[in-house]
Amino acid sequence: MNKFEYVNASSVKSATEQLQSDGSVRIKAGGIDILDELKERTINPKRLVNIKTVGGLKEIKEVKDSLHIGTLVTLSELASNKQVKTLFPALAEAALGAATPQIRNVATIGGNICQRPRCWYYRSEEFSCLKKGGNECHAHLGDNRFHAIFGNDKCAMVHPSATAVALVALQAKLKIEDTKGHRIVEIDNFFVKPEENAKAENILKPTEIITEVILAKPAVGSRNFYIKLKEKQSFDWPMADVAVAMEMAGGVCKAARVVLGAAAPVPWRAVAVEKALVGKKVDASVAEEVSRLAIEGAKPMSHNGYKLKVFETIVARALSVVASGDFSSKEGF
Amino acid sequence: MTVGQSVNRKEGRDKVTGAAKYVDDYHFQDIWYGKTVRSTVAHAQITGIEFLAGFDWSTVVLADYRDITSRNIVALIYDDQPLLAESLVRHVYEPILLIAAPTKELAELAAKHVHITYKKLPAVLTIEDSLSAEQKIFGDDNVFKSYTVTRGNVEDAFQSAEVVVEETYHVGHQEQLYIETNGIIATAKSDGTILIQGSMQCPYYVHRAIKELFGLPDEKVVVVQNVTGGGFGGKEEFPSVVAGHAALLAKKCGHPVKIVYERGEDFVASTKRHPAVIRHRTGLTRDGRLIAAEIDLTFDGGAYCTLSPVVLSRGVIHALGPYKCPNIRVTGKVVATNTPPNGAFRGFGVPQACFASEMHMENISRKLDISPVELRRKNMLHQGDYTLTGQQLTYSVGTQQVLDAVLERSDYLARRSHKQPELSNKRYGIGLSFYYHGGGFTGSGEEKIKGQAAVELTAEGTVRILTASTEIGQGTRTIFSQIVAQELGLRPEDVEFEENDTSKVPDSGPTVASRTCMVVGRVVQMAAASLKEEMAKRIASLAQCQASEIQFEGRHLLWQKDGEIISVSFAEAAERCMSRTGFLKTTAQYSSPPGIKWDDVTYSGDAYPVYAYAADVVEVEVDMDTFEVKILKVTTATDVGKAINPTLAEGQIEGGTVQALGYGLFEEVAWKDGKILNNRLTNYIIPTSLDIPDMETVLIENPYPYGPYGAKGIGELPMDGGAPALVAAIADAVGAVVTEIPATPERIMEAMEKLAVEA
Repeated sequence: MNKFEYVNASSVKSATEQLQSDGSVRIKAGGIDILDELKERTINPKRLVNIKTVGGLKEIKEVKDSLHIGTLVTLSELASNKQVKTLFPALAEAALGAATPQIRNVATIGGNICQRPRCWYYRSEEFSCLKKGGNECHAHLGDNRFHAIFGNDKCAMVHPSATAVALVALQAKLKIEDTKGHRIVEIDNFFVKPEENAKAENILKPTEIITEVILAKPAVGSRNFYIKLKEKQSFDWPMADVAVAMEMAGGVCKAARVVLGAAAPVPWRAVAVEKALVGKKVDASVAEEVSRLAIEGAKPMSHNGYKLKVFETIVARALSVVASGDFSSKEGF
Repeated sequence: MTVGQSVNRKEGRDKVTGAAKYVDDYHFQDIWYGKTVRSTVAHAQITGIEFLAGFDWSTVVLADYRDITSRNIVALIYDDQPLLAESLVRHVYEPILLIAAPTKELAELAAKHVHITYKKLPAVLTIEDSLSAEQKIFGDDNVFKSYTVTRGNVEDAFQSAEVVVEETYHVGHQEQLYIETNGIIATAKSDGTILIQGSMQCPYYVHRAIKELFGLPDEKVVVVQNVTGGGFGGKEEFPSVVAGHAALLAKKCGHPVKIVYERGEDFVASTKRHPAVIRHRTGLTRDGRLIAAEIDLTFDGGAYCTLSPVVLSRGVIHALGPYKCPNIRVTGKVVATNTPPNGAFRGFGVPQACFASEMHMENISRKLDISPVELRRKNMLHQGDYTLTGQQLTYSVGTQQVLDAVLERSDYLARRSHKQPELSNKRYGIGLSFYYHGGGFTGSGEEKIKGQAAVELTAEGTVRILTASTEIGQGTRTIFSQIVAQELGLRPEDVEFEENDTSKVPDSGPTVASRTCMVVGRVVQMAAASLKEEMAKRIASLAQCQASEIQFEGRHLLWQKDGEIISVSFAEAAERCMSRTGFLKTTAQYSSPPGIKWDDVTYSGDAYPVYAYAADVVEVEVDMDTFEVKILKVTTATDVGKAINPTLAEGQIEGGTVQALGYGLFEEVAWKDGKILNNRLTNYIIPTSLDIPDMETVLIENPYPYGPYGAKGIGELPMDGGAPALVAAIADAVGAVVTEIPATPERIMEAMEKLAVEA
């Protein structure tokens, strides 16, 4: 890695004041992904601004009908927080399934959402790809077993964040700050597809920081859940994951969000499934039937056709769990 | 009695407290850092090397092949691998140019300002392409080495076979993944001596490689092993490359030079397990007796020969497994490809051969509808039987014991009839493997090496062992100190070690081939026995008794005089023994057990002095929608001869089994254009503690008369059987046999689809 300056910020203001529009100054929270990027030489910043020294960003607060999660809340804290576990099991589960206990103890929610792709072409110095200013996506002609089955025409990366999948299902909002003030962004408008900007995965400017994740408490009768498939049982990004949030009345689905992870360059809403669920009394057989719609429009590549079957399966399982409300039975699958 | 006790690991405290000094913990004031500039193409002529402007080249020192004063080789078997490429590169990551700089950052920055141009040549990237020999990259046929072993009359026997079973098996690369990456510090002294220190398994391999590089005599090269964080074969021959690079830079820049690889570089640059394609054709009687076998193994050697001929040889000899077959022909070849050279890795050709042979037993059992256990019982080797090289097994044959033990401990028979839960999408499966591994070097290897070790008394009145066998985490120092303590009536803590330095310790041979305990341990035992004899002789002359009357017990020497027991402490006895000469040191050298015969030309005879045997039972649960495999339980039974330290022996078996399960289920190197895509632990998948279930490890002691206290080599054995037992368990669960590892969900799905089509 290159040599860089390291400074501790005392406030959001002092942190944002140091940021540069050319990206030469980087925010460091838990330091997990940024350290990887430094070591892999995908970035060469002049300065790292440590925001772990900033007060007030580590709390999970209840504000009226919402939960405000500070950007520095760690994955461990999310996974063990009583309110998160009760109201947003999908998020708790996504946080718990990430990385290892040691990493979860330092990795933050803000950093998790903003982590860069795990695509092995992007991470390797040997390959210059669209994300790094090159002119091709090597996954199209190379080994693409972990790549996208949706939205993969240009860059076939998959978004690596598991918590992002849950947060899209839960319709989170993000509080983003810079020197001029703050804005609140719907998470649906946060992630960007490669067609819009191949070099970034979201709308965050180099001069901005996410300071809070805001979740509205779910309506009565709502349930949410998350399932992740991985190759090894610890320290692994999703091979495929899904988050489901459903609002129900008398067993009938009123509204649903079904979001696929590791499927596309952004957390991918299975809109056809969401629509098909509305008005249905969801049980295991309905879950299986509608799960087939999850892969509608998919364009698998040469090595990732298996993902079609896998997504159908985990969507069906997640819907069954949500419909039954029996979260303990997930081990039975 | 200390042999047979699980005494604490000799170096354990230093390692867990952080006191142990690994090579990267050494800092010298004037040290410089080395960086290797590597090829980015698989096969090409180098047309130019450009040093770009924008960098101050006076701040660094460069070295290329022209700086090598004697031979530009990594000395090993064929001497075909250059230390630095000259005009041709034969694989991606091949070293071309070296840079030394006062800081790592500067060396890296300099490397970014080197631009190498190439004229690309067609690259041979697979075994199939190499065999077609359309593009010749080694000799006329791309074959580094081939072997044929024949016994009986294979053609006639196939004529009389009632059933013939044929199948081809594929295995891929595997990376050793020692915790500490490769690292060396080289210092060029003003008197012309080159001093090498670092992480390695075989100091004398590095010693020879550096001598060849610079044309130096023995005493002008000194190699010291630092505390080494694992090797698994990956630090058998490869450290010679790193040491050569560091030494070349040190000579040129006049500073000590440190090269410590980062994980990503270590992963792509160092050797891996050879991929292989192995075809079995087997003739049997209807009731499952093997009567004819044809086995063909093809290994991918990569761009240079390294240790490939020896790896292949071991694969060929172990190709059938621990079974009898009167008529057999095994052919093996290792071919060249434009990929990084493959080399030593725990198991050394056997994990490939064993996966194929044991999966073939699974296929035979299915085809003949004979239980896997019965098929093994019918064909297994017993004492007095002959192996495929015509070796008669006359002692320490634990085949039946390990099979009985693993079946009993795992409750295999009852669990195999386990009923599938009807309403679940999970299927249970149980699989068996049965295997063996020859200890020590193949054939005449040990006779050529004649490994030495010595034992001496210290000024403090204790004992010091002098050996080149390295501690790489497997417990060398602990078990050697137990052996010596046992011989001399001491405690293991009374035994210390000379620094592993080629100017101080004799050449015990390399720390490889499951030979450290069995072969070198025996030599250490012999040296200790000589020391004991010499001490007894000297004390007897002082005490005026017979040397044979003196006992070594409880840190004392004891004898009787006029009906009274006289006792003198070991330390005092040691002092008296050294009073005249100032030292007492005894050296011993290995000699083969009596009656060992081997013919290198016909590849027949006693391939190994003895074999260790094992059987594994693996239980799994397979998700029938996603084909995810969860390993539920592993039971192993191993005939170790004698466990010098049972905890360390179990550790070897459990650790090796985990590596084997990774080989079978997860580990796969992904490639594009000869480049490795997953050179990091986030995407080269190895089992984590959550992926590995509890293990039951049964040790069986069937003593080997020529090993220390009966011990046999078991370092590699546990790497052989885990993958086939796992894949057999998957087959039991899903009904289809996967013939290529790792057994990924996709491969399980394909095997099931293939089975459905055939049905």
